[in-house]
Amino acid sequence: MILLEINNRIVEEALTLKIKNAKEGAKPDSIDITVADFDGVLFHISNQNGEKTKVMVSISLKFFKDLQEHGADELLKREYGSLLVPTEDGYNASVVVDLENIPSNWEETVKKIGLLKRNCFASVFEKYFEFQAKGEGGHKRAVIHYRDDETMYVDAQKDRVTVIFSTIFKDDDDIIIGKVFMQEFKEGRRKYQQAPQVLFSHKDPPQELQNTDARVGDNIGYITFVLFPRHTSAGARDNTINLIHTLRDYLHYHIKCSKAYIHSRMRAKTSDFLKVLNRARPEQKDKEKKTITGKTFRQT
Amino acid sequence: MSATLKPYLNAIRATLQATMCLQNFDSQLVERHNKPEVEVKGSKELLLTPVTISRNEKEKVLIEGSVNSLRISIAVKQADEIEKILCHKFMRFMMMRAENFVVLRRKPVETYDISFLITNFHTEQMYKHKLVDFIIHFMEEIDKEISEMKLAVNSRARLSAEEFLKRF
Amino acid sequence: MATEKHDFGTTSITCHSFSADRNQLAMSQNDNEVKIFKKQGMKFQETGTLTEHGQRVTGIDWAPKSNRIVTCGADRNAYVWTVQGGKWEPLLVILRINRAATCVKWSPQENKFAVGSGARIISICYFEDQNNWWVSKHIKKPIRSTVTCLDWHPNNVLIAAGSTDFKARIFSTYIKDIEEKPSSTVWGNKMTFQSLMAEFSNGAGGWVHAVSFSPGGDKLAWVGHDSSISIADAANGNRLSVVKGNFLPFVDITFVTENSLVAVGYDCCPKLFSLKAGELHFVNDLDIPDEKEQMTKSAMMRFKDLDRKATTDDTTVDLRTQHQNTITQVSIYAGDKSNCSKFSTTGVDGNLIIWDLKGLERSMAGLKIV
Repeated sequence: MILLEINNRIVEEALTLKIKNAKEGAKPDSIDITVADFDGVLFHISNQNGEKTKVMVSISLKFFKDLQEHGADELLKREYGSLLVPTEDGYNASVVVDLENIPSNWEETVKKIGLLKRNCFASVFEKYFEFQAKGEGGHKRAVIHYRDDETMYVDAQKDRVTVIFSTIFKDDDDIIIGKVFMQEFKEGRRKYQQAPQVLFSHKDPPQELQNTDARVGDNIGYITFVLFPRHTSAGARDNTINLIHTLRDYLHYHIKCSKAYIHSRMRAKTSDFLKVLNRARPEQKDKEKKTITGKTFRQT
Repeated sequence: MSATLKPYLNAIRATLQATMCLQNFDSQLVERHNKPEVEVKGSKELLLTPVTISRNEKEKVLIEGSVNSLRISIAVKQADEIEKILCHKFMRFMMMRAENFVVLRRKPVETYDISFLITNFHTEQMYKHKLVDFIIHFMEEIDKEISEMKLAVNSRARLSAEEFLKRF
Repeated sequence: MATEKHDFGTTSITCHSFSADRNQLAMSQNDNEVKIFKKQGMKFQETGTLTEHGQRVTGIDWAPKSNRIVTCGADRNAYVWTVQGGKWEPLLVILRINRAATCVKWSPQENKFAVGSGARIISICYFEDQNNWWVSKHIKKPIRSTVTCLDWHPNNVLIAAGSTDFKARIFSTYIKDIEEKPSSTVWGNKMTFQSLMAEFSNGAGGWVHAVSFSPGGDKLAWVGHDSSISIADAANGNRLSVVKGNFLPFVDITFVTENSLVAVGYDCCPKLFSLKAGELHFVNDLDIPDEKEQMTKSAMMRFKDLDRKATTDDTTVDLRTQHQNTITQVSIYAGDKSNCSKFSTTGVDGNLIIWDLKGLERSMAGLKIV
């Protein structure tokens, strides 16, 4: 699993199970699951108003307000339509699946619900991709505070869309490993000409963000994507959104994997060194041992 | 083994063999104490002249001897940032397990990456010629291990970058 | 077989001393006890333990004539042990030192003994009849560091001491309360207590690990941490001869004839040196390794080794010498300094080895002990 999944598997599986059960005629039972996803997203799967046949999935995003400014509500309406129900308290959007009235294409519906988070994100991208397609530059830059201390900027120009992520490296070592990764992203682009340009800057924000409140600091990195029309065209759009919005998590996930791997190697090597050191210890000669019955024997 | 590594290690081996001639020595300064003189540095006449063996500017070894203990500090090759953090991580990892290693010092001597402290108690419990072997083995392996780890990080980075970009 | 090897486990043997008849052995295995062994057949059986020291025992000397054992330890004390009713009874000696004692030696007449210490003092102890205890007098000047070793001159008055201040010295220990005024020797004639008769250094120097008077008492040999053996001949105007080799430092040395010495140390192999025309020469290693037979290992041992040491190839573990680690002491086993036929060594590897010098001389081509 080298790429992260953009959907939420737990939500999908929970729903699939429910629906399958219902189709087989089993008695529905109550459900109450809270699931966390990347970027501080929470899913809550429960029964609407306590009715066991109504399975409700709610999503909470800390930065939903930012997204609403860029048409998240409209997009959700477009995608989920009749599934949408009044939002559960403490969440940002809720959808319901009625087990007594399962649509024939329920599998598609489930998949769609699994993509709730992705679709919330998509709104802002779609909006700016649209600007670019229409050749409208000069719109205000979108700022999404998708995590505490970490921000995403989307900006449309006539010929391109720039997406900038700021990301915090909690550990100093992560910056350096992150740099290695970003270097490879740069190099990799030579091989895959169709991919967007990726830029990486450390400490200081890129030129586009100069004179903004973008943070400066030793542990901050900025990843810039320059998307050209071939990425933002209607056909490629969905794929681009899928990829881009997971990049931050993808990067951190692999940095962590690398560290885990290094750690396991160090562990192995350390025990190896210990064994070499053990060679220096003289072996106990002729040690008498006692068996449990009290007999003594000599190990040779 | 590269051409310069062998004489480097040979020089270290010879120096270690000579320095590892330790004896039990009770402190002549503090009553009823028996401390590694190389750490206490209380009596000048009990210390040997420290020896630095350098392979190049970055790779060097400091061997400090005394009547009942010796300290060997190693500066490991660190060509770039990633090797630096790998080395740092690895050394920290090992030093946190210093009690298992017995001869490992919990803190490296300043400007070095890792230090070993060998006392007469170690040479009494272990064969001194094998202790020398251990240090040499350690030095041989540590460079290899760090460059292999670096390679692993790089190839993972390349793979994940390519996989990502391929999808566009 | 030119050697007799006794294995006392893996703990290091700090020091050992034989009784006069060589049937009993006192030694300390790097702790605060002294163990007494008795030879039964070819083996030494433990017969008793002397437990009075609070810290590591650093020196043992078994007086051959009076059958008393003196021990000293890192706890700054010395005890004289005598057999009373079949048991060893201790008598504490007030050394009046405030650092660890490092070595102890009976004088040839056994009416005195000397203790070296980390307090930069040599305590000369003698028995005071009216008080019924051992009293000690100090030699202080000009010792500037820990006293590591001692050896008595045959005249019972002079004592040689080595120290970590790189010097070997000879002092007078003449105590007028208990002995006759000594006649003059080649080392000088003014012999009041504590007077420094001679002081040697071989130049750069290293910590002096051992000193030994020649059987006649005219020469003094010492070994230093700079891998040197030095010898000074007082009969020839303190003529100094030094050998430095590419071997590791020696820890102990003894004369085996008037002109030959055996030195042991970190090289794990006793070496023979001889004096020819006033110059010291290296003669031979006394431990010529035989080809070791390849031991076959049980499957269990193979896997055990693989788990513990990550190797099954164990051939590099053993040194090819008899001792597997530093030899810390050499003493005469049969004969005396002027004509030694056997000597014993103990080391950090826990082995006691008795070497048949005469046998070695016969079996080794080119080995001639003069």
